[in-house]
Amino acid sequence: MKASMLRTAAAAIRDIMVANKDYLTALDQQNGDGDLGITMVQGYSALAQMLEQETEQDLGKLFMKCATRFNDAAPSTLGTITSFVLMGMAKALKGKTEASLEDMTAAYEAGLALMMEKAHSKPGEKTILDSLEPAARALRANLDKGAAQALTAAAKAATEGSEATRTMKSVHGRAAYYGEKSLGLLDGGSVAGRLIFEALTHIAG
Amino acid sequence: MRKLINKPEDFVEEVIEGIMMAYGDRLRLHNGDSRIVLRNPPARPGKVAIVTGGGSGHLPVFLGYVGRGMLDGCAVGNVFASPSSQKMFEMIKAVDSGAGVLCLYGNYGGDNLNFDMACEMAEFEDIKTKTVRVRDDVASSPPEMAEKRRGVAGMVYAFKVAGAAAEEGLNLDQVAAVAQKALDNIRTMGVALSPCVVPQVGKPTFSIKENEIEIGMGIHGEPGIEVREMMTADAVASLIFDKIAAELELNEGSEVSVMVNGLGATPLEELLIVYRAVAKLLAARGVKVFMPHVGEFATSMEMAGLSVTIFKLDEELKRYLRAPASTPFYTSENK
Repeated sequence: MKASMLRTAAAAIRDIMVANKDYLTALDQQNGDGDLGITMVQGYSALAQMLEQETEQDLGKLFMKCATRFNDAAPSTLGTITSFVLMGMAKALKGKTEASLEDMTAAYEAGLALMMEKAHSKPGEKTILDSLEPAARALRANLDKGAAQALTAAAKAATEGSEATRTMKSVHGRAAYYGEKSLGLLDGGSVAGRLIFEALTHIAG
Repeated sequence: MRKLINKPEDFVEEVIEGIMMAYGDRLRLHNGDSRIVLRNPPARPGKVAIVTGGGSGHLPVFLGYVGRGMLDGCAVGNVFASPSSQKMFEMIKAVDSGAGVLCLYGNYGGDNLNFDMACEMAEFEDIKTKTVRVRDDVASSPPEMAEKRRGVAGMVYAFKVAGAAAEEGLNLDQVAAVAQKALDNIRTMGVALSPCVVPQVGKPTFSIKENEIEIGMGIHGEPGIEVREMMTADAVASLIFDKIAAELELNEGSEVSVMVNGLGATPLEELLIVYRAVAKLLAARGVKVFMPHVGEFATSMEMAGLSVTIFKLDEELKRYLRAPASTPFYTSENK
């Protein structure tokens, strides 16, 4: 992974968020405030746009710029949470201009750890983490199979994780007021997480 | 709404402009940015820096405590809204002189996330930071959920004590530990008699009936514990005192500082009548009072009402509270 690949990745994630904007919004309207589609499109559009002109080669500094830009463009809760993942990755990648699949996986794990710490969340609470975290485990388990296969496995795990949010009760944010009533509903954040890995699979394949 | 303002959207900008015109000899704006207020001249190199931040509408909290013996910087948000993480980060970078930066602020959702993010950005640039959150409002959550409590007037004591520790040359961990020790011994509770008006909203954020008093209301109008029929000053003092005394061991020979803080529209006379009642309750328990603070320290615009803070002291905390401090809005000299 090099800086130039991050540009391709951000553009692919933006495209998939644009294509699914109304779907994400509809999911969020079930038990949130309905801004999920807009937040994701705003955040990833800003990233893709910034990366088109960015010349920074240090992956750590580049991820840090992404984190700051994302938070500026999408200061909602999920936007801020996404920024923490990017910041955690930035710290792990600082000083590197090239990163192996294992480096990227370790950085991604560090990003998730930072997000869990700052948002006081863990898997099983019907959030974006329920797709992002299974994806991390799948990446780790498939390191020796190369990027394309590892990402395919991660996307599959993210999809299953997202589906599993139907059996979970919301504990965070406005959705928490729905408690028992949130059972059966698919969590929009987890779908956004699944879409990220779906987009990455397309560019890796 | 009747307020002495110009355009509501210029409220924060014009307040800062006024502050800089009045006190520009002791404060400066970072690169001219009205959202980052810094101590002027800066502290000596090597001192641990202490910063805070939060929404506007609470003067002298927060920026009023930037100055010698207290804070090095303050990030300024819109009325009742957190400043952005980017402003906080720029402030942290501006005040760090190598000894690290303590972020000391009230426990509110937006401020927490933004300061956390700013600290991550600082850490990425090899600036050491520590965070201590103020959670002194006993009415905002029960004791078993104390980590969720909001920060109110008690933060002024924390600024004072941590500021003195930093001036004395303690390192970042030590200054943070002093701030935390102070906060473990600080409790506050308030009452409100009338609401406040956010300029850009133009109407009161809540309503209180003519003959009622809201017990335990927060400084943004967060609902309190209960609404009661209007009470006397002595009854209010005793109600607040009991609630705080249940959490601080106040015995014969204990020493405390007491802050009676007006929320914006309550006369000093009434604050002193309540102070008198609290002082008598303390005297009856054999508790001595050191450096009482009576006045406006943390307000909520034109809200009427007050808060009482009790700060239990030991010799170390007393020394830091007594140490000299001078800002445009606070001085240790007259306490």
